[in-house]
Parts: sequence; structure tokens; C-alpha cells
Amino acid sequence: MSFSDIWLFLQQGVLSGLVTGSVYALLAIAIVTVFKTTDVPNFSQGEIFMAGGYVALMGLLVFKLSYALVIPLTLAVMAGVGALFQRFVMERVTGSRGVGVQLVIATLGLAYLLKGLVRQTGLGDTPRSLPSLVGDGAVIIGDAALTRLDVVIFVVSVAVMLLLYAMFNRTRIGKAMRAVGMNPKGAQIVGINLSRIRILVWALSGLISALAALLITPKILITPDIAHIAILAYAAAIVGGFTSLPGAVLGGFIIGIVENLVGLFISTNAIVVAPFLAILVTLIVRPQGILGGKPQVKKV
Amino acid sequence: MNKGSLDRWALGVLAVVLLVLPFTVTGYVLYVVNLLMVFVVLALGLHVVIGEAGQFALSHTAFYGIGIYTAGLVNTAWHPPFIVSILAGGALAALLGYVIGLLALRMRDIYLALATFAFGEAMQWVFLNWDKVTGGSNGMRMQPAQLFGYQLTNDLQAFPFVVGGAALMLWLTVALSRSQYGSALRAVRESDVAALAMGINVKRMKQTAFAISAAFAGIAGGLYTLFTSFIHPESLGFQTTILVLTMVVVGGIGSVRGAVAGAIAFGLISELLRQALSIQEVIYGAILMGFMMFKPKGLFADREVKRTRAAGGSHG
Repeated sequence: MSFSDIWLFLQQGVLSGLVTGSVYALLAIAIVTVFKTTDVPNFSQGEIFMAGGYVALMGLLVFKLSYALVIPLTLAVMAGVGALFQRFVMERVTGSRGVGVQLVIATLGLAYLLKGLVRQTGLGDTPRSLPSLVGDGAVIIGDAALTRLDVVIFVVSVAVMLLLYAMFNRTRIGKAMRAVGMNPKGAQIVGINLSRIRILVWALSGLISALAALLITPKILITPDIAHIAILAYAAAIVGGFTSLPGAVLGGFIIGIVENLVGLFISTNAIVVAPFLAILVTLIVRPQGILGGKPQVKKV
Repeated sequence: MNKGSLDRWALGVLAVVLLVLPFTVTGYVLYVVNLLMVFVVLALGLHVVIGEAGQFALSHTAFYGIGIYTAGLVNTAWHPPFIVSILAGGALAALLGYVIGLLALRMRDIYLALATFAFGEAMQWVFLNWDKVTGGSNGMRMQPAQLFGYQLTNDLQAFPFVVGGAALMLWLTVALSRSQYGSALRAVRESDVAALAMGINVKRMKQTAFAISAAFAGIAGGLYTLFTSFIHPESLGFQTTILVLTMVVVGGIGSVRGAVAGAIAFGLISELLRQALSIQEVIYGAILMGFMMFKPKGLFADREVKRTRAAGGSHG
């Protein structure tokens, strides 16, 4: 491999990595917001994302709706799924003194349920993707080439991240969510309705997942097993710091770029194992991640 | 009737059923029972690390796989009595479990769960890609196990040994749970610091709990090789870990009888619904959510009584 080849691969890897990374970052944000406000590691993140893709596919292929209807519909349905799950399932599980293991298993229950329901529709029997809204043309940046769709994915993702940033810092509801994440008791004392905020956070996480699905499904073929993509989001969240939103974004881009570079320079086979190694190494070497701040020490 | 005599009744009924079965049913039923016994051993192993020691580990299937491949490879290479291949798998799994136990010294709860999950998935990748040893994605054929010239070629022949192995592991678990070591493990589960203050070597307890749990999984893998002739890494993924975790949690975290009952119940459910994947997933998901909502401590919630007992000073 000559130097110019390496340079070309680097550019292509980084740019493609930024595109896929932006989707991982969105999913990582969904994981981290839920974890911060409800202490639930959401093991059904991948399935919520997958279900979002299939809701859109169903709207377009089965009910023949237009994109203008399908997009808001998908976002609303998945936000609803998140809200209902928190309101009727998780509230009860935490209420009956559920701890780590119980919380994880309840979310795994949702994961199975969604996967089974999607399989029932029959749409998942063959790999499918959504029709793309933008043309096929290529965009050349430096020596690397991206599709127009790639650019749209990246731009929309970053715009959503900025919106979320504004929401968490400017709006009352966003500040309330952050307050619940920092100290639920304190938040309650100043008049925040914990249960309502947690339902909203799950709804928000469902909405972000659906958005990620809408963005990436025109680019890739999906099956009900696409949920494993969430492992990359988990890796992103952990590398960035499991309780840090900027960390989730940074982690998403890092995982996206590393994934692409590993694919270009090492082998496509090694891509599969890379996120697990990233999780293991991060947790061993720096458990709080890159932006996670000092590890919290719990008193007995 | 107290719990102890109830246990004896349950064990008695189970023993009678297992004694009568080989003379009455077909090969497939025996295969399922053999498989259930393997699940019982797997669940007992996870019970040791989660139920007794309170360490949230999601790497169980990795050790199960190591047990299967080691027993299969040892058997193919040297044809020793199968007990040797099973013990080899158990020993290798225990050794690796001891190393993975190091993770538990650095992190806890959900972080430990994520790290062990990552290890489990990485091991599945190794099984899938170490072509020279495991056959990779083609899977691996295994030759019949044998004991001093007596070959186990079908489910019926393997049946007494698989059941015997499971019974032995059950006895070991109960003995461990009742021993001083078991008490120390539960002390670690309740509080690291309190256990430390009582002079318990917390680090060693955590690591040995991982090693013992891994040994159980490895031996379960060895028992599996007695009645099967083929293994594919596909079946050694996170799904299997979730299945065993469900057995332990729905049975009742911290309860040996819960682990056994959970293993039999969920082993049957997963086998019965194998033909209808989507229905299986829907029912399975509903069961998991339902149990966590309405009976989060599982069927045989246990140990909670212990504290009041200690405080009250009655009972033995």
C-alpha cells in the first residue's frame, strides 16, 4: 500500500465514519438520556430503532402513504412506544424495588416483544430499505466520495444534536430532564413531576431512535436482526462516558471512524469484534469514558 | 409442610420421572430432557455468580462454549473416558473465569454487566473465526464420547450420565450454598465493605465465584457433547445468555430451587416454541416484562427471611 493509497483510505474512512458515526451518536444519545434520568440501561435500544424502520416501511409499502405522512407518523409511534413502556412497565418495575438485573430483563422483554411483532408482519422476511428522498449523485470532498444521502444523514443528525443541545440548556423541560438526571430528590423538591419527566425522556429517546432509523434505512438493507447496530451505539456511549451527552456524540463519531478504518485497513471481519473490544478496553482502562468526568464513589 | 420436606418431595418426584422416562418415551423426548439437564447446570452456575455472589455477569455462554469445544476437541484428539474431556472443559473455563473475575474487582452492576457482555460477544467471534480449531462458521463435528470402550451414540445411552452429572452439580451447589464459603459469598453480595470488615477476602471471593460459575458452565458444555455430535457458534451468542439469565431471575435470584425450576420451565418453553420464532419472541417478551412487573423477585423469592431470622434469633 503506497502512501497516497493510505492517504486516500484515511480521508474516505474518516468521512464515511462521520456519516455512520452521526447515526451511532443519535442512538447513543437515546441510550444516555434514558440512563441518566431513569438509571435504566436500555437493552431494547436496537429493537426500538429497528421497529422505527419497520413502521416507516409499513407506512410506505403496506398503507401506501406519502413520505410527508410517514415521517411524522414514525416519529410519533416510536415516541408513543417509549412513553407507554415507561408509564406502564418500567414505572412498575422500579416501583417494586427493581434493581439492575430486573431493569435489564424488563427492557430485554420489550426487545423480544418488538422483534416478534415485527416478524409477525412478514415484512422482515426479506431485507428491505426505504426509498431515498435524495438523488444518487456523488459529492466529492478532498479525494473521498460520499453520496448525497450521506451528506443529508450527517447534516440532519448534527442539526438534531444542536436542537437537543438547545433543548437541554434553554428550555424548562430540558432543564427539568437534566435536573432529574443530577438529583431526582432535589428535582422533586423544586416541583418537578418525576414520573412525567421520565415518561417524556423515554418518548424523546423513542423519537430520536425513529429518526436515526429514518435516516439510515434508505442507505442500508434492514432485517429484524438489524437491532445489533445498537451495540455500536452502546460502544459509543461507553467510550464517550456513559453519563455524558457530549461524550455520546464524540463516542459516536469515534466508533464510526474506527469502524470504517478497521474495515479499510484490517478486514471487514474484524469490524464485528471492534465495538466489543472498545467496550472492554474502555471499561478496564478508563471506566468513566472520555468525557464522563470523575468516577462517582458511592458511600456505603 | 415446610420448605425442606417440600424440596424432598419435589426431588423424589423428579427422580421417579427420570427413572421411568428412558423406558417409556422416544428419542426426541430424551434429547429434550438431556438438554434440560444441561440448562439446569448452566443455571446453577449463573446462580453462583449472580445469586450467591451478587455479581452481574453476562458472559456465561462464553464459558459454556469453551466447555463444548474443549470437550469435543479433547475427545477427538485422544479419545479419553468422557469424564476427562468434561473435566478438561470445566478446568479451562474455570481458569478463564478466574481471569474475567478481575473485571469484577474494578467495576460493578451495570458496568460489570456491559464488560462481561462484551467479553461474551468477543468469545463468540473467536468461536466463529478461529477456523483451524473450531471450524469457524462451518461448525464442528464431534465424535461420540466413550467410557472404557462403551460408546455413547444416542440420547438414551447418554441419558443416565447427563442426569447423573446434573444431579452431582446440584448437590455441589447446595453444599456450596450451605458452606461457610457460601455465607461469605452472600456477605459480599450484601455489602463489599461490611464483608471486608468481617475479614472476608472480598477480591478472592469475587474471583473464585467467577471461576466456579465458569466451571459449571464448562461442565454443562461437556455434558452437552455427550448427546450431540455438532456445534455451531450461532447457538453460543447473547440469546443463550439471556435464556439462562431469565431462568435464574424468574426462578428467583438467590434461590437454588428457583434456578432448577426456572431452567426446566424456560428450557421447555424455548424448545416447545422453537418452530414458531415470531410467536416465541412475543410470548417470551411478554413473560419477561410480566414477571419483572408483577413478580420481580421470581417464583422462589428467598433469603429475604434470613435477616429477620438473624435479628429474631428463632429457628435454626
